[in-house]
Amino acid sequence: MDSTLTAAQAAARATVADEPRGRIRLRDFAAIALQLGLVLLLLRQFQIESPAFRLLAMLAFAGFAVHAFLPLPARLPFFSALSLISIPLTLGLVNGVWLIGIGLVLIAACHLPYSFRVRGAILLGLGALLIGQRASLLPTPWSEAIWPILGAMFMFRLIAYFYDLRHDKAPVTLAQSTSYFFMLPNACFPLLPVIDFKTYRRSHYSTDAHRTYQKGVDWIVRGIVHLLLYRYIYYYGTLAPSEVTGPAEFLQYVVSNFLLYLRVSGLFHLVVGMVHLFGFDLPETHKRYLLAASFTDFWRRINIYWKDFMQKIFYFPAVFALKRLGTNKAIIIATLYVFLLTWLLHSYQWFWLRGSWLLAWHDMLFWAVLGLLVVANSLYEIKHGRNRSLGKAKKTWQSTALTIAKTYATFWFICILWSFWTSESITDWLALWPALKGPYTSEALFFPLLSLLVIVLGTVDLPGIGAVTAPANGLRPWLRDRAITVAWALGLVLISIEGVHTSVSAEFATLMHSMRSAHLSRLDNAKLERGYYEGLLSVDRFNSQLWEVYSKKPANWLDVENAGIRRFTGGFGQTDLIPSFVSTTKYGTVTINRWGMRDQDYPQERPAETLRAAVLGPSTVMGWGVGDGMTFEALLEERLNREPVSKAFKHVELLNFGVPGYQPPTQLVSLDKALDFQPNAIIFVATGREIRRSASYLAEVVHKSLPIPYPELAAIVKQSGAVAGMDETEALKLLLPYGPEILRKVYGRVANTSAQRGIRAILLFLPQVREGSWQEETPETLRIASEVGLEVINLADVYAGHDVDTLRLAEWDDHPNELGHRLVADALYRRLQADPAILFGRAAGGAGN
Amino acid sequence: MSDELMQKIKNFIMEEFLPGEDPDELTATTPLISGGILDSIATLKLVMFMEEQYGVSFEPHEVDKENLDDLASIVRLLRAKNPSAA
Repeated sequence: MDSTLTAAQAAARATVADEPRGRIRLRDFAAIALQLGLVLLLLRQFQIESPAFRLLAMLAFAGFAVHAFLPLPARLPFFSALSLISIPLTLGLVNGVWLIGIGLVLIAACHLPYSFRVRGAILLGLGALLIGQRASLLPTPWSEAIWPILGAMFMFRLIAYFYDLRHDKAPVTLAQSTSYFFMLPNACFPLLPVIDFKTYRRSHYSTDAHRTYQKGVDWIVRGIVHLLLYRYIYYYGTLAPSEVTGPAEFLQYVVSNFLLYLRVSGLFHLVVGMVHLFGFDLPETHKRYLLAASFTDFWRRINIYWKDFMQKIFYFPAVFALKRLGTNKAIIIATLYVFLLTWLLHSYQWFWLRGSWLLAWHDMLFWAVLGLLVVANSLYEIKHGRNRSLGKAKKTWQSTALTIAKTYATFWFICILWSFWTSESITDWLALWPALKGPYTSEALFFPLLSLLVIVLGTVDLPGIGAVTAPANGLRPWLRDRAITVAWALGLVLISIEGVHTSVSAEFATLMHSMRSAHLSRLDNAKLERGYYEGLLSVDRFNSQLWEVYSKKPANWLDVENAGIRRFTGGFGQTDLIPSFVSTTKYGTVTINRWGMRDQDYPQERPAETLRAAVLGPSTVMGWGVGDGMTFEALLEERLNREPVSKAFKHVELLNFGVPGYQPPTQLVSLDKALDFQPNAIIFVATGREIRRSASYLAEVVHKSLPIPYPELAAIVKQSGAVAGMDETEALKLLLPYGPEILRKVYGRVANTSAQRGIRAILLFLPQVREGSWQEETPETLRIASEVGLEVINLADVYAGHDVDTLRLAEWDDHPNELGHRLVADALYRRLQADPAILFGRAAGGAGN
Repeated sequence: MSDELMQKIKNFIMEEFLPGEDPDELTATTPLISGGILDSIATLKLVMFMEEQYGVSFEPHEVDKENLDDLASIVRLLRAKNPSAA
């Protein structure tokens, strides 16, 4: 339901506020408290956002119960205190104190007894200092963890605040300032609507308290619904560009990409709804933006606070400065100026959240195109006007049909434009379009029909949740709106109960099980596994859950990468480890020997009576995040020498040929290198998703026009139709169907090369520390390995029974830690103890005989 | 709505932005900005009309909901700028 106040509703306002300002009847308070209890249940049942947010929600709801009965003058200081408490509660005491301290300095600078210009210069100076620190050009005594939150609190609100200090003569209190900047629940959200300071102050108990609180509850529930819809699309709707192979997938890709924005609208509703509980009758942040009927309409409906911020700070001043040029010219120039600034401020926001500047062509183009469309639309509206109505607009079937057609066209245009914006590059986006030449099956109709249905239902104006309308026509509409909110909340709680959803069907139960947990989608998991997010330039990344995980990662995480542990070779493998490199990390020393192995020094010639096995693999083998001697390879080697499992050899040497970032095809480069060291055995380590990773790597090689020294792989590339220099996504689409064959050739080469030299070849399967979609290819991988003649050691259950957080380095880094490596070494030892022949050959015999 | 100044502004709004609507529905307290009647373009048109008509000038920061959200507020601001406006 539209929350725009109609004339009738506005007239009814006066009649509603029969309670003294800020007062709520006990009966009404009980109704709100009950609904908040339901909301808490919902947050818990669906694990909405982070545990930190749920903690702050509890703090806010408990705070509301106290706040609602405090004397009016004490309420804002109370909310301010609650907001301040929420910061150390979320960030820890030290970080919290630093953040509050920096914030207070910035606020104090706004109030120094100097002229506006001098204060502005001081603020710019402080800003420059912080920019230097954020960019790591200057040292900081505080943790990096506070930057995204400090940025979220001050990067835009400080501008709005300082502007209002200049123009709004009403005195500002300390409680107003501190509650505005440190506002609960900002401490756990790096993305918050840009609330206007003047609106914030003026809205405090500007209307009936009960209605304000109820609106807050409605918006919180609406936000949760948005977040659940987002979750469904995130888990089940999103596709990788390489998966867009036909018209149906193309449409799914563009619609899902746009609908991921539901997360932003959901969070904004949640945040602003929560602020309502403390008496702030703030305006809507989004207004049915999927139903925008033109580009100007879209700009007015999506992220309304941003539009208002830009309008107030930049648009109106620009128009006033330019109005001597004439209204139209002033509007055109000011609108383009606003979009240019939106692009720049987006980069500015990226900087505070990530610590680097975003400069991407598609980002610039997106804002330029949207700006031009809004200008064109504005000029049309200036000339022809636009439909406005004082009451409910009178609709005829012709006007309704026209609105539906315009809305439908706008929706699809925005979806396409959005897909352009959120692509990693322009070439990536262009690579999507050939999919439209594919077969037009009935599946291709799904999204066009679904979107049409939503738009038709939205246009005919069915009642929805959320909008608190004044009881203009008596009590019934008010009760109906409340009933809708409670029905949504109750319904969601009900289906979240295991006994209920399992009784519907197994499929529904599986869906609900997935929907009830907040986790990364299969695509984001794949990116995280590859460390791929490092270089991503998807401009909406800081809306995503992957970004949230990534944003916690310190800039100097492990230090080794920046210190240059790898070098570029220009060949098929692209990189290898720099010989004789030593670095100290917080996890211990990382030493690379003279041969470029992360290992102790070995002679090139295998010593007599020595079993020498070359261990080939990626960063897990190399031991990313553990110190020298703590890799599973080093631990196993030490134990096999200390407690031999075979009498066939006096010594055991395991040579670590692990290189971070290596994929199955690149491990062939390691194999070539390892053969110079005369191994008796090759242990080829597989870590999941081998088939896709093999195809992906060849696509990268094709894109970069790198030489392919393995004829059997070059033949597959040729057969697929991929050609050197081709766009990577396009190449991947061609190569993916050959994934199993590529892996078979890789494993086959390991098996054949080893067999020719009398070397035992083993495939060691190591799982990821957490369960997930990486497991999908494991059975086929192991089958291929067996079929080409590799001995298989499958340690798929090596981490079973352990909490993932005790095994991995950090939330943003799934590499196994010391415990993880120890578990692998122990499991491998037991496996070799049970069957020494697998590594030591038929003459292995038993241990200690 | 007896005030002549308010009536003139109301007439402008009715003619420019609400043609065909019932003038009786536009009262002194009808929300214009929050009600979606005055968007940024309409607000500018209204401001320029008042500047021309009454010889006043507006500052950008005055163009907001507090000053322009209903006819009563508009008239109040206009009177503050030009007490003789009618």
